[in-house]
Parts: sequence; structure tokens; C-alpha cells
Amino acid sequence: MKHKNRSLLLYCFPALLLYATFVLYPAVGGFWYSLTNWNGLNPTYDYVGFANYRELLNDQVFHRSLRFTFRYVAYMVVLQNILALTLAIIIENLRRFKGLFRTIFFFPNMISMIVGGFIWLFIFTRAFPFFANSLGIAILGESWIGNPQYAFYSILILSLWGSVGYLMVIYIAALQNIPKPLLENARIDGANEWQINWHVVRPLIAHSITIGMFIALFSSFKVFDQVYALTGGGPGRATQVVSLNIFTEAFAMRSRYGYASAKAVILFLIIMVITCVQLLIMKRKEVEL
Amino acid sequence: MSTLLGWFSKACIIVFLIVMAIITLLPVGLAILNSFKTNGEIYTNILSLPTTWQINNYLDVFRRTHYLRSLWNTVFLVTLSVSGIVLASSLAGYKLARTKSKLSHALFVIFILSMLIPFHSIMIGLVRVANQLNVQGKLWGLALIYVGIGSPMAIFLYHGFTKNVPQEIEEAAMIDGCNGLQLYFRIVFPLLRPITFTIVILNTLWIWNDFLLPLLMISNREKHTLLLSTQALFGQYSANWSQILAILIMAMLPVMVVYLFIQKHIVSGIAEGALKS
Repeated sequence: MKHKNRSLLLYCFPALLLYATFVLYPAVGGFWYSLTNWNGLNPTYDYVGFANYRELLNDQVFHRSLRFTFRYVAYMVVLQNILALTLAIIIENLRRFKGLFRTIFFFPNMISMIVGGFIWLFIFTRAFPFFANSLGIAILGESWIGNPQYAFYSILILSLWGSVGYLMVIYIAALQNIPKPLLENARIDGANEWQINWHVVRPLIAHSITIGMFIALFSSFKVFDQVYALTGGGPGRATQVVSLNIFTEAFAMRSRYGYASAKAVILFLIIMVITCVQLLIMKRKEVEL
Repeated sequence: MSTLLGWFSKACIIVFLIVMAIITLLPVGLAILNSFKTNGEIYTNILSLPTTWQINNYLDVFRRTHYLRSLWNTVFLVTLSVSGIVLASSLAGYKLARTKSKLSHALFVIFILSMLIPFHSIMIGLVRVANQLNVQGKLWGLALIYVGIGSPMAIFLYHGFTKNVPQEIEEAAMIDGCNGLQLYFRIVFPLLRPITFTIVILNTLWIWNDFLLPLLMISNREKHTLLLSTQALFGQYSANWSQILAILIMAMLPVMVVYLFIQKHIVSGIAEGALKS
């Protein structure tokens, strides 16, 4: 038994060492810094208890970035899954060109959202005004980056463009796992396409929908690249998502590592609570179906 | 009537699909087209073909980004990181699945637990650790960090896969006198090939396209990855879109080429990785 555990530790050692050094230790460290006034430049810092957290209660900029992030996450979770599932169902029912469309829709996933963000910046600031003039579509003439109202949708469009294909691929795989006779029987029994999708397909891919929701939720809470490239958090700080707010607090503007750490702890708690609740609810629903 | 309705709804669905496909491809298409034009041409008509194809945009950018250098840096970083992840995680994941003990279970839980920690919650501590260990600013140091962050997910996948590999082969090899690491490299690792393939694809994509961690760790221009040099130049060429677009296309090029050749494998790898976790 002892021998068994020793060789286990030996095999796990490289992974465990790097994981402990670069994930666990910084995570614990982050929590500790959140209780200090460390500013990143000074070698010394003091323990300040929960002062950072008390300051957070009145930090209007942070509250606004939280609200903005929540709104973004809500839109993303719903739209990303609806679009991905719709595309997956349509493509799975095609007789020809399945592979072609799958390749096209997955393609943006291969591109870094920094590069994708700059490309869409070109589209929003150059192509949109051009199309507004030549095609006479007034809404394209709005300031899609400079106006906070529209900037939200710009970020949303960029994010959906870059992420729908990923979920779509997952849903296609789930649809392909459905036994074909089941669908044929339903068809013979006289069910139409909608009824088949709703009563037969939906319960069978419930588990994949849980996964899709989880992925969308988890990844959109962490959104950074898209905003960084497209608006940089602007205009002003109107589109500053939480991750960017933490980044700015720590590395770009004020080097307040302690205070930024407190924000990071809050972000972690929010993500943990919400994803756990989501998984619990969806699991229960899956069982009911 | 019902067939007419069916035909009509089918047509609507096809139109929807094609419109979505155009929206998906249009941004990159326009970027490619306009990267060959002058700024004036971009300004007057975004859809027009260039009067003369401005290869100069690319030549200029090629020199100024030190394209080959940053491409090499990226390839080096990704290769080192992914090899490290595969080696460290396959060893750990395989052994964790084969060992039934309290310690084994505890270690597995510790590895899995972190998958819920967002990167932004460790980044401040990480910058400090990297500073203290003097790995900041070094590509191999960055690779070590990627192994640390990427291992849990890979261990999870290896662990799940190993459980479905029959143990008889290993037992037979052991009787034949194979031991320990020899058994692992000769017998086990080849058996894990399908999941290794998935893990290589998932992690290559992630690290190739990751931006924030290199931004925090690498400041020296000579060590810049493709994304870092793209971002740095983006600032310098403010509003000079013909050059910027050329930079962006060059930055996407390696990924696009690879995607065209092995897209089937990439897509199936992605789906498998997600559905298993």
C-alpha cells in the first residue's frame, strides 16, 4: 500500500508541483493580498482586515462593471445557446453541405478574440458607416463603439461571432448520438418536425444543454479579450467588464494589488455560486425529463 | 397546401443559414480584401477591388513586426507548453485512475477543484510568484505556467479515458518484465493516443490564442508572441487601416492554414473534449 502511494506521488509530482506553484499558491495568495494594502511597488504591506471589502461596497465604478457583466452574461448565455442549437439542428437536417456549413460556423473559434476584435473594430467603424450610406440602413450609421448603448451590442456581436460555433459543434455531436430509429418511429407515428424536436430530441440532449449553459456562463463571466480589443472598456468606463476592471486596478492604472485582489475574490465567489446553482437546477431538470 | 408550406419553410431555413454564413465570413473577407488597398481606397469604397494590389502593405508589416521572430516565439511557446501538459498530465491522470487509495482520490479532487477558479482570480498572485521565481519575461517560464494551469483539465480527461482502457494489457506486459516508467512509455502512452490527440488540439488552440497571460509575463519585444506584437503595432498604426489589416491577416494566417487542412479533426476533438468534461 505504501509502495503504491509512493509511486502515485512520483507520477503526479511534475503536474502537482507546477499546479501548486502557479495555481494553488497564487489563488491562496490572492485571498491573502485582499486583506492587505499592498500596492505592488512597495516591498512591504500591512494587514488591513476587511477594509478593501468595505471599500468595495461603495465603489460605484466596480458596481457598474458588475452590472454590465451580469447583463452581458445573461444575453450571452441565452443567445449563444439558442443560436448554436438552431444552427446545429438545421445543419444536422441538411442532406448536403453539412461539413461545409459546420466548417464555416466554427471558423471564428480558431481566431484569437484580440485579432477578431480588431477586425470587428474595422467593421464597426469603417464598414458600418459605408453600408449605412450606400444601403441607407440608418442603424448602421450609429456610433457602434463610441456610444455606450451600442457598444454593448458591438461586444455582444463580436462575442457571439467568436463563440457560437463552439457550442454548435457540441450540439451537433449530441444530435448525432441520438439513435435514428427513435426519430423514424416518431415520424411514422405522425409527429411533425417541431413535435419531434420538442418531445423526442430535447429530452435526449438535455445533458448537452446543461454543458452548453455551463460553458457559456463560465466563459462569459471571464470575458476580457473581446472588450480589451474592441472598446478598451470605453467610452469612459462604460463597457468595463469585471475582469478588465481588476486588470486596470492592478496593472494599468493604480497598482492597487490588495484592492484588486479583493475584487478578484468577489468575482470568484460570484462565478462559483452561480455555476453551482445552475448545475444543480439543470441536473434536477434533466432527471425530471 | 401542406407541401407548399413545407417547401416555403424549408426555403426560409436555407436563406437563414446562408445569411448567417455570410455574416460569419464577411468580417474576415472584408479584412482580406481591404488589406490589399490603399487607405484612400478603403475610405471611398469598402467593397471595391483594389486598383493595384498593395503587396507593400504586407512587406512593410512583415519587416516591422519581425513576423518570423514572433511566429517562432509562439510556436516555441505552444510546443513546449503542450508537450509539458501532455507529459505531466498523462503520467498523473493514468496513475490516479489505476491507484485505488484515499490519497489518490484526494489528489484527484484537489486537481479538479481548481477548474472553477477563473484566471483573473489568480493573476495578481501569479505575477508575484513569477517575479519571485524569476521566470517572468521568459518563454520557458511562461510554458511552465501554462503546464500548471492546463494540467487539471488534461488530467481529468486522461483519468476518464484510462478507466476505459482494459488493464489486462498492462498486466501481461508486467509479467513479461516491463516495469514502472518503461511500462508507461512503451505500453500505456500509446494506448492513450486518442485522448492525447484531443488534449493537444484543445491546448494548442487555447495557448496559441491566449493573450492576457503573455501580456502580463512578457514585456521584452524580442520575446513577443504573434498576438503581443499584433497588439503593440495596432497602437502604433492608429487608424492606418490598410497596414493594420495586413497585420491582422498575418496573425491569423497560421491558424487558418492549419484549420483548412485538419478542420475535421479539430472539430471532433473539441466536441469530444467538451462532452467528456
